[in-house]
Amino acid sequence: MPQPDADPMIEVRNLQKSYGDFAVLRNVSFTVARGEKIVILGPSGSGKSTLIRCFNRIEPHDAGEIVIDGERIDQTTELTRLRCMVGMVFQNYNLFPHLSVLENCALPPRVVKKAGREAAEDLAMNFLQRVNIADQARKYPIQLSGGQQQRVAIARALCMQPSVMLFDEPTAALDPEAVSGVADIMASLSADGMTTLCVTHEMGFARRIADRIIFMDQGRILESAPPEEFFTRPRTDRARDFLSQMIRY
Amino acid sequence: MPGAPLVRIFLCVCMLLGLLAAPGARAQAPSFAAGGLTVCTNPTLPPMTFVNGSDSSDLAGVDIDVSRRLGTYWHVPVTFVSMDFVGLFPSLEAGRCGMVISGVVRQPAREVKFDAVPYQPTSLVVVARAGTAPVTSMADLSGKVLAVESGTSYAARIAQENVALAAAGRPAIEIQQYPTEDQVVQQVLIGRAFAFVSQDVELAFRQTQLNGKVSVIFQPDYPEYRNFAIYIRKDARDRAALAGAIAALHDSGQMAPILQRWRLVPGGGAQEGTAKAASGFNWRTFASALVSPAFARAAAITLAMAVLSHMTAIALAIPMAMVMNGRDGLLKSAIRAYVALFRAAPTLLQLLFVWNALPQFLPVFREAWFTPFLAAWISLSINEAAYQVEINRAALQAIDPGQALAGDALGMTRMQVYRHVIFPQALRIALPPTINEFISLIKTTSLASVISLQELLAVTQINVARTFEFTEYYAAALIYYLLIVFFFLWVQKRIERRFAWADRLKATSHAAA
Repeated sequence: MPQPDADPMIEVRNLQKSYGDFAVLRNVSFTVARGEKIVILGPSGSGKSTLIRCFNRIEPHDAGEIVIDGERIDQTTELTRLRCMVGMVFQNYNLFPHLSVLENCALPPRVVKKAGREAAEDLAMNFLQRVNIADQARKYPIQLSGGQQQRVAIARALCMQPSVMLFDEPTAALDPEAVSGVADIMASLSADGMTTLCVTHEMGFARRIADRIIFMDQGRILESAPPEEFFTRPRTDRARDFLSQMIRY
Repeated sequence: MPGAPLVRIFLCVCMLLGLLAAPGARAQAPSFAAGGLTVCTNPTLPPMTFVNGSDSSDLAGVDIDVSRRLGTYWHVPVTFVSMDFVGLFPSLEAGRCGMVISGVVRQPAREVKFDAVPYQPTSLVVVARAGTAPVTSMADLSGKVLAVESGTSYAARIAQENVALAAAGRPAIEIQQYPTEDQVVQQVLIGRAFAFVSQDVELAFRQTQLNGKVSVIFQPDYPEYRNFAIYIRKDARDRAALAGAIAALHDSGQMAPILQRWRLVPGGGAQEGTAKAASGFNWRTFASALVSPAFARAAAITLAMAVLSHMTAIALAIPMAMVMNGRDGLLKSAIRAYVALFRAAPTLLQLLFVWNALPQFLPVFREAWFTPFLAAWISLSINEAAYQVEINRAALQAIDPGQALAGDALGMTRMQVYRHVIFPQALRIALPPTINEFISLIKTTSLASVISLQELLAVTQINVARTFEFTEYYAAALIYYLLIVFFFLWVQKRIERRFAWADRLKATSHAAA
C-alpha cells in the first residue's frame, strides 16, 4: 500500500463548490497516492461526480486547492495540458457516433497532440488491443454493445496517455458481465501504475477494484478506509445506513 | 487618287459647318441626364418597349427609339435598365434612373409625385375575343371579368365605374390584375376574362401576333388616357427641358419615322412570332428557347444567385445559431429580433427595400457598382439566413451535450469540438431542411426580376411578351428549373450516403444506452 504523504498524485485541500445557494462540496480534503485506486461512494447528490469533475476542471471549483502531480489546478491552468494528464470516462460512454471505433480513439491525439494520422492510428490500435476490442476497430459505435462501447471509451481516454483516470459511474448502464470486463481493465490499468478515481454505486465492483473507499454525504467526506474495513466496520452511522440500504437491494 | 483633295476639302467644310451649327443644335442636358441618360423600362409592352429577338438585353420599340433620340439630342450616352413594371417608379424615386419611359400613360395621380411629359397620343381600348359583340358603354361590362396589368392605373379607373354601377344597383366589373401585359391578353385568350384593357398602339401590335384572335369592343373616352408620357422626378426646369426636347424631335421630323416603324410596320424581328400556328405546341420554339444563349444565361444567373445567396446565408447563420444556443445576452436578443423581422417581412418587400429605399438613405448605393445582382445577393442572403439560423439552431440543439463534454474532457478546444464533433453530426440533421430551403430559394430568385435582374423567369416573360408563345417558353423555363432542382436532390442523396453511421441506428437501436 502506497504511503499517503510521500509525493502524492493528487492533493485536495478545503475544496468548495456551490451551485447558487446550494453547496455541493464543503471543505473536502484528501490525498491520493501514485498508482492508488480510489472508489468514491455515497448517496445521489452527495457531490461524488462533481468532485472528480473538478480534477479535470470540467467543473471549476470555487475555493480550496487541487494539486495534481505537483501542479496547482486553477483558472490559470492550461486546460489542454491538464486534460492530457487527467483522462475521463462517462456513464453513457459519449463516443462520437459519426466516427468509427478507430477514429474515435485516433482523433483526440491527432487534433490535440497534433500526432500524424498513422502514428495516432497505431496508438489507437494499441490501446484498443489492451481493452480487447481491436477486432471492432472499423465499426461505428452504434454497432457495438454497451460493454464494448465503454471499453472503446476507456481506450479513447488512454490514447491521451494520462497519468490519472477518472471514471464517472462507468458501469451504471452495463449488464453484470460487461461490468466484470470493465473491472478487469481497470485492474490491469493500476497494475501499470495508473492512478484511478472511480464514482460508482455498485458495491461488488467497488470492493473488487478499490485500494481505498471514500464515502461522501452532503458534500463532505465522512469516511476514508480500505474496502475491507469500510464494508465490514463502517465508523459512521451514515455509512452504516447507506450500506444497509444497499444490501437490502 | 485625283478626287482625294476634293473630298478632304469637303470634309473640312462639313466639320466647320458642324462646329458652327453645334451651339444651336446642341441642347443643354437636363439635370437628370447630366453625364448620361439612364432609362428605366419594362420591356414587355410591344410596340412601346419590348425585346425584339432572343437577346434579352436588345431592347426595341417606340420608347427605346425616343430615348435614343433624346440622348442624341442632349449628346449624352443612353443606358437602359429593364425591370418589372412594379419596380419602375420606386426606381425613379430612388434615383436609379433619370426617367421612366415604358408605355405609361399621363395620369394626374402620378403627377402628384413625378413630372410627366407626353410624347405620344393614345387611347384606351377594351378588347375581347374576336367575334364578341361590341358594347356601348363601360356599364355593359357589369358582372364580367376584366383583366388589367397590375401596377398600372387601369384598375383604379375601372373601380370608379364600379362605384357608378353600385349606385345603380348593378353588379360590379370583376377586375383581375396580372403582372405583365401578355398575361393579361392570355386571360382573354383562354377565356378566363371576358375582356382586357389596353392602349390602342399596343393592341395594333398585338393584333399581328394574335392573327386577329381579339378585337376592340369599346373605346372609352377617358381624358386621362390620351397620352403616353415620360416620367421624371419633380423639377420644373427639367420638365421644361424635356418638353422642349420632345417638341424639337416632333418639329425636326424625327418622331414620325419612329411611329411609322413601330405602329404601322412592326419590326422585322417581331414578325417572326406571327408565323406560328393558331394553336398547338410549337416544338421548334420550345427547342430553340431551351438551347438559346438567353435562357442558358438566365438559368445560370438563377443558379448562381441561389447558390451564392444560400452559401452566404449558411455562413452567416452558423455563428448566429451558436450564439442562439449559448447564454442570454444582448447579441442573442439582437439575433432573435433579426430572425423575427426577416421572417415576417415578405421577400419581395426586402428586395424592393434594398434596391430602392437604401439609396435614399445612403447615396453610395446609387452608384454603378451596386448592380441588381449584388442587391439581390445581399437581400436574399440576409433573408435566407434568418430561416437558416432556425435550422442550424435546431440541429445544434439536437446534439447530445455529452458529446461536447467528451470533447472537452479529451482536451479539445471549443473550436475543435465544434469542427470535429458537433458540426459533422449537426450536418446530418440540418441537411434535409437546408436542401428544402435551397430549392425554395431557387424559385424565390424569380422575385429579383422586380429589381431588373434578368433571371430565368424574367427572360421567359420577356420572350412570351415578344412572341406570345407562352406555353412553349413556360415549358422551357420549367425544364431548366427541374434540371437545377433534380441536380441538387441528387447531391443531397450523395451526401446522405455518408451518414451510414446513423442509418444503422434503427437496426441496432437496442445497443444504445
